[in-house]
Amino acid sequence: MTRRSRVLMASVGLLVAVLVAACGGDDGGDAAPTAGDEPREVVIVTYDAFALPARAAAEFEEETGATIRVVASGDAGSMLTKALLSAGAPEGDVLFGVDNTLAGRVTSEDLLEPFTPREAADVPEAVRLPGELGDLLTPIDTGDVCVNVDAAWFTERNLTPPATFGDLADPAYRDLLVVPSPVTSSPGLAFLIGTVASEGDDGWETFWQRLQDNGVRVRPSWDDAYFTDYTVSGGDRPLIVSYASSPPVEVVLGEGVTEPRSTVMEATCVRQVEYAGVLAGAAEPELAEQLVAFMLGAEWQSELPLTNFVFPVVPGTALPPEFERWAATPEDPLTIDATEIDARRDEWIEQWRSIME
Amino acid sequence: MTRAGPGPAAIPAGPSLARPRARAVGWAAHPVGAVAVAVVLVAIAVPVVAVLLRAVRIDGAWSGEALSRMLGSPRTWRLIAVTVAQAAASTALTLVVGLPVAWVLARYRFAGRGAVRTVVLVPFVLPTVVIGAAIASVLGPSGPLDLRGSWWAVLAAHLCFNLAVVVRIVSAALEDLDPDLESAARLLGAGPVAAARRVLLPAVAPAVAASSIVVFLFCLTSFGVIVILGGGAVTTVEVEIWVRATQQFDLPGAAVLAALQVAAVVATLVVYGRVAGRRRVAVATGAPGGRRPRGAGEWAGVGVAVAAVAVVVGFPLLALVERSLRVGDGYGLAHWTGLGSATAGTGLAVSPVDAVVVSVITATVAATWSVLVAVPAASVAARRPGGVADRVLLVPLGVSATTLGLGLLLVAGRPPFDLRRAWWLVPLAQALVAVPLVVRSVAPALREVPDSVRDAAAVLGADGRSRWWRVELPMVRPAVVAGAGLALVACLGEFGATVFLARADRPTVPVAVERLMSRPGEAGFGQAMALSCVLVALCGVLLWLLDRAGSRSRGGGLRLGL
Repeated sequence: MTRRSRVLMASVGLLVAVLVAACGGDDGGDAAPTAGDEPREVVIVTYDAFALPARAAAEFEEETGATIRVVASGDAGSMLTKALLSAGAPEGDVLFGVDNTLAGRVTSEDLLEPFTPREAADVPEAVRLPGELGDLLTPIDTGDVCVNVDAAWFTERNLTPPATFGDLADPAYRDLLVVPSPVTSSPGLAFLIGTVASEGDDGWETFWQRLQDNGVRVRPSWDDAYFTDYTVSGGDRPLIVSYASSPPVEVVLGEGVTEPRSTVMEATCVRQVEYAGVLAGAAEPELAEQLVAFMLGAEWQSELPLTNFVFPVVPGTALPPEFERWAATPEDPLTIDATEIDARRDEWIEQWRSIME
Repeated sequence: MTRAGPGPAAIPAGPSLARPRARAVGWAAHPVGAVAVAVVLVAIAVPVVAVLLRAVRIDGAWSGEALSRMLGSPRTWRLIAVTVAQAAASTALTLVVGLPVAWVLARYRFAGRGAVRTVVLVPFVLPTVVIGAAIASVLGPSGPLDLRGSWWAVLAAHLCFNLAVVVRIVSAALEDLDPDLESAARLLGAGPVAAARRVLLPAVAPAVAASSIVVFLFCLTSFGVIVILGGGAVTTVEVEIWVRATQQFDLPGAAVLAALQVAAVVATLVVYGRVAGRRRVAVATGAPGGRRPRGAGEWAGVGVAVAAVAVVVGFPLLALVERSLRVGDGYGLAHWTGLGSATAGTGLAVSPVDAVVVSVITATVAATWSVLVAVPAASVAARRPGGVADRVLLVPLGVSATTLGLGLLLVAGRPPFDLRRAWWLVPLAQALVAVPLVVRSVAPALREVPDSVRDAAAVLGADGRSRWWRVELPMVRPAVVAGAGLALVACLGEFGATVFLARADRPTVPVAVERLMSRPGEAGFGQAMALSCVLVALCGVLLWLLDRAGSRSRGGGLRLGL
């Protein structure tokens, strides 16, 4: 044992000691909740893109004395899978962001506690889930997944934008469409379900085959597609599977943008409903119930459009002017019964993968 | 590879070949070691079995549904073909670049040779996620070429990562080959081709074969690199296991793929055992020989080799730093200062600095555990090279990290105990991944302890325990330190298992890098680059400490883990 190696051992030891000390400092925050006077915390498990409606959240915190923390992990699909794999030992108290395309999965494990807030009576029947699912999940907001068109791009080239699903597979619109993958993205899955609803059981596979032949580009997430490939964000594809609310978002978020470049292909719109539920094994089940109920209150509902770019589920909630003006509100969006989606979703995804991959 | 005659077996090899043959000692003589081996075996077997069971047990009943669905799908077989093909292509590419570099490093002495040898090794010990990020900084958005989502980017990353394996193993074999043998063959009338074929080839072929298989194995189970660079468009069995389990919630399907993966890895390991089993593959530890290059041709060769290393290894790492400093159209520290807080829109719930703290703590705990288990286990493995213990301790290398992570998650969530919230789940997975590294480091050193020393201690009245503490352990301490350091680096970079087990509010650095990279936009990408630099720095400091320790003592220093 030379002196040098002893110095080395000492420095390694020192490093370890420092790390352990750092560890001690960090672990405090992680300890089991609620030691009497400690502030209580309610944790929302959700997807990355979720933005907490700040004013409403502050109000909730004031009312209850608890703080809200958001734990986000990936897209809605991977967030739900992660929650299912940790069912019973959840990472939080409230699950938010499961939509009607994925809702059926929540029953494959004991993921949620049944809970229906009083306020849910105000919610239209159409967005509520049937049976057991309806007891577990409370609808909070709706949105439509639609193909967006960079109208300016088409105008510059004197081209007529596509209007129907069929147009998307038309060689005149070759190499123009980008879609998020239905395997890893919830708008992607909604769009896939829309094609099934529109083209029917015996037509949707051929349709995707034609899309494939027509040069559709598939990206793993909506973010990737929108921010990398969409011409409005500087990409090379003027057609994208996005939301009916994407045009007003251009105005809300864009500096000095008074009018959106995008329009919406209303014939492609698929209704998406997002739900919240109380996680089984939650550390704060009461607060969780209070929060789910609060999400249907006027404060939360009215703040949803400008934070998460979705439509409130409670009728009569005032919409911001940008939404009134620019958001598409398709009269008759495509939809498939949640039970049928649940029964056939995995089969559709498998089929889609064998066509596209 | 088992040919007799004037093959490699006749060539003087490293000290490990010349060691006195260890006596077979029963497991009973090493109760602690035997327990340690058993612990490793159980800790690996339980999660793997849990995954494999999922393939045939669905909702509590036996079912062949997943098996027939997956095995009946042409896509599964295409996936396997693609996985094997990319591993083969990566291996071929690595050989094409690596062999000339190995030749130059072994045969020629020139200024900077030591630096080149070290630089080549750097990516091998860096986390795969960081290699992915580094390659993405060159071959990604706003790099000179955007190849994300193509196999080219993946091949480039595999080349960068694995170059060290070929260069270090083959150049060691070349250095062991006395150049006089070739001259002698020439003097005896052999032409240059015949001399190369009869002398050089037999000496180097086993090293080339062994390094190819190691590279092939790494590429077969490659995960972090493909997740980062594949962009969802290119995928392999390992990535598909992850997609099925975490995106589609198709656990039975994932389990079938995991079983296929285990079979492929075992087959590769069996081949490796045949190639390397009888003969230890030398890894450069001694002082390199060689002569100064003569003439323009040889100097050009040296130049090309150095340039290849600079392009394959140096450039991506420098680009990583450059991209971490690029803000908008200019340069700045925004991505670095942003590390202190959680930034909205980056997909990360905590600040990157928190991830560093979590990583360091987790890896320290994990490395400590792996040393505590691996050192006694190595004492059993060292007694019987190629014996049961030796093989059991290799198993974690072969089990894919995603299978391990998924398995631990499934087991942990099983009643009566729910351990998924347990803080020690991630370090446990990382420790398992690190155990073989420590064993590979310590066992050879233990074998080099002459029996006469043990005997002398015994004669002087030391019992088994005090022989271990007062004689053997002090003699192998440098190897233990080296193994611990390597384990720490491996745990810091562990991704495949950690990504399954890390809670969303406690990501490790590699998990955080992946989260940041999976979101578009400059903020996430820049922070991912900066965070990768932090990880490079952490690993760099550790490696520097190790290399210092290694260069001062026999048996220490870096071994490649195989």
